[in-house]
Amino acid sequence: MRRYARLYWHFLLQRFKILLEYRMNFVIGAGSTVLLQAAGLLAVWSVMRQIPDLNGWTFDEILLVYGLITLSKSINHMFADNLWIFGRAYIRTGGFDRFLVRPINPLFHLLADRFCHDGIGNFVVGIALVLKASLALHIAWTPINIAYCLVAVVSGGVIFIALNLLTAVSAFWIIDSIPVTSAIFQTHEFAKYPLTIYSRGIGIVMTWLIPYGFASFYPAAHLLGRPIGVLAWLGPLIAVALITLAYRIWLWGLSHYSSTGS
Amino acid sequence: MPTIELSHVSKVYRTIKKDSGLRGAVKALFRPHYVEKVAVHDLSFHVDAGEVVGYIGVNGAGKSTTIKMLTGILHPSGGSIRVLGRDPHRERVANAREIGVVFGQRTQLWWDLALRESLNLIANIYELEPARYRQLLAEFAQTLELEELLSVPIRSMSLGQKMRAELAATFLHQPRVVYLDEPTIGLDVMVKERIRAFIRDQNQRNGTTVMLTTHDLDDIEQLCQRVIIIDAGSVVYDGPLSTIKQRFGTFRSIAFETAHPLEIEHLILPLGTAIASHGERALEVRFDRTVTSASQVATALMPQIEAIDFSLAEPDLESIIKQIYAGTHTAALREEVLV
Repeated sequence: MRRYARLYWHFLLQRFKILLEYRMNFVIGAGSTVLLQAAGLLAVWSVMRQIPDLNGWTFDEILLVYGLITLSKSINHMFADNLWIFGRAYIRTGGFDRFLVRPINPLFHLLADRFCHDGIGNFVVGIALVLKASLALHIAWTPINIAYCLVAVVSGGVIFIALNLLTAVSAFWIIDSIPVTSAIFQTHEFAKYPLTIYSRGIGIVMTWLIPYGFASFYPAAHLLGRPIGVLAWLGPLIAVALITLAYRIWLWGLSHYSSTGS
Repeated sequence: MPTIELSHVSKVYRTIKKDSGLRGAVKALFRPHYVEKVAVHDLSFHVDAGEVVGYIGVNGAGKSTTIKMLTGILHPSGGSIRVLGRDPHRERVANAREIGVVFGQRTQLWWDLALRESLNLIANIYELEPARYRQLLAEFAQTLELEELLSVPIRSMSLGQKMRAELAATFLHQPRVVYLDEPTIGLDVMVKERIRAFIRDQNQRNGTTVMLTTHDLDDIEQLCQRVIIIDAGSVVYDGPLSTIKQRFGTFRSIAFETAHPLEIEHLILPLGTAIASHGERALEVRFDRTVTSASQVATALMPQIEAIDFSLAEPDLESIIKQIYAGTHTAALREEVLV
C-alpha cells in the first residue's frame, strides 16, 4: 500500500512536469471545465428564477446537491479519467500489454498513468458551490459536518469510479468502451437535482441500481436536516460494495483478455 | 533447470465471426458463430541460462503469441510454460520483476516525458536502489550514447534514438530474461550495430538470457548461437546456426551477364541446376553443389549464352531460410528434429 502511494506520487510529479511544459493546455483544460459548469448552472439559475422552489427545494438547496455531485465527479475526473479511453488508447494500440509486463497492478498503472488536470476545474467549482450554498443556508461547519461531507464526497467519487470501471471492462470484448461508459455515466445528470422531483422509478434507479444519488441528494438532504433515515449513512457502504464488485468484474475481464489477447 | 521451458504448448484463439453490416453485428451478438484459430500447436523447446536464441518465422507463424505467453500476457490453451521455474501467467508479477521486453513497434516509455523522467519512473516501478540506478544510468548513457538524449521527450526522438532509449528502459532493472521482438526493425546500419553490441555486452557481462525475434538475419548471425524456426505454430528447426548453413547451404548461384538478349526457352540446363531469375541480358542459375560444380555449370552454359561477365554467390542465410519457410526443407528438417 505504501509502495503504491509512493509510486502514485512519482507518477503525479511526472504528470505535473508535462503539464508545466504545456502551460496553455493546463489552463485551457482546467478552465474549460469551469466554463462548462457555469453554463450548466446558468440553466438551473434561469429556471429557478421563475419559480420560488422546485418541489420544496430552493435554489440554494439545489446548489448544494449540484455542488456535492460536482465534487464527487471531479474525483473521478482527476484520478480515473483513463477509464474512459482504456479501450481506444490502451487495448486497441496494445499499450495495455506494457502494463502487464510490469511488476505492479495493471489497474493501478492504468489510473496512475494519467492524472487528469481538467478535473481540477470541476473540483474548484464544486467547492465554491458547496460553500456558497452552506453560507446561504446557514449550515454550520462543525467537525462532524465537515467529516460527513468529506466521507460523502469520497464515497461519491468512488461510486463514479466504480461505475466507470464496470463499464470500461467491456473494452476487453468490444475494444471501444466509450459508448457503454457514456450511457451509464450520463444518468448522473438526474442526480444533479433532488431525487424527489422525479417519478418513483427514477428515484429507485438512482438509489439502488446506478447509485449516483449517494453522491449528491442523500448527503445534501442529511446536511439540510431532511428526514431520509438510514439512507443518509449508506453512501460509504454502497461505494465499497460497488467498487469491490467492479474490481471483481475487472479481474474477470482481465482473464478473458489473457485468453484472447483481443 | 532451463531458464525457459515450454512443453506441448498450444494456443487457440476463439473469435466471433461477424457478418458485415449492422445485421451481422446484431446477429453476432445474439447468436455468435465462433471460429477457432490455432496460433501455436504442440510447441516444445527450452532455453538455458545465458543463451541468445533467435526465434524466427514468417508473419503469423506464432512468434508474437509465444512471446506474449512467455511474458505472462496470455495464458496457453494447453501445455505448460516455465520461466525461471515460474508459471509466467499465474505468477505474472513475480515473473515481471525478472524479465524485460521490447515490442519493437511500440514504446514502453512515456511519450511526453523526457527520457530521464521516463527512466526515473521505471526505476521507481521496479524499486531500484538509487545508487545502483545512478550507476546503471551512467553506464547505459555511455554504451547506448544517450547523454544528449536524456532531456529529450520520446515524441521528439528519431526511430533509432527511440530504440536505444527503449533498450535502456528494458535492461534498467537488470532482468535475467529479455525478450526482444524486432529490436532492429527500420533502423540504419550504424544503429543496428550499436544495439547488437549492447545486447551482446549485456549477455556476456550479466549472463542475461535473450530471446530475439527478427526478420533481419544479420541480427541472428551476429548475436545468436542457436536458432529456433517456427512455422504454422510449431518448431521446424531447433539447433545451431552453423548446421542450417552446412546442411541447407548446398545451393550456390552463378550470375551471368550476356552480350545478347537471352532466349531462355532454348537454354539447356545441366543436371542439378535451376534458373533463379533472369532479365533481358542477365541470368542467375542456382545449383546444388553436391550434384554439380560451378565449373561444370559454367562450362555447360557459356557456349549457349556468350557471357561477358559472371559471378559466383555464396549462400546467404536469407535465401536458405526462405527455402525453409517455403516448405522446401520442412520434411528434412522435421526428420532432423526427431533424430
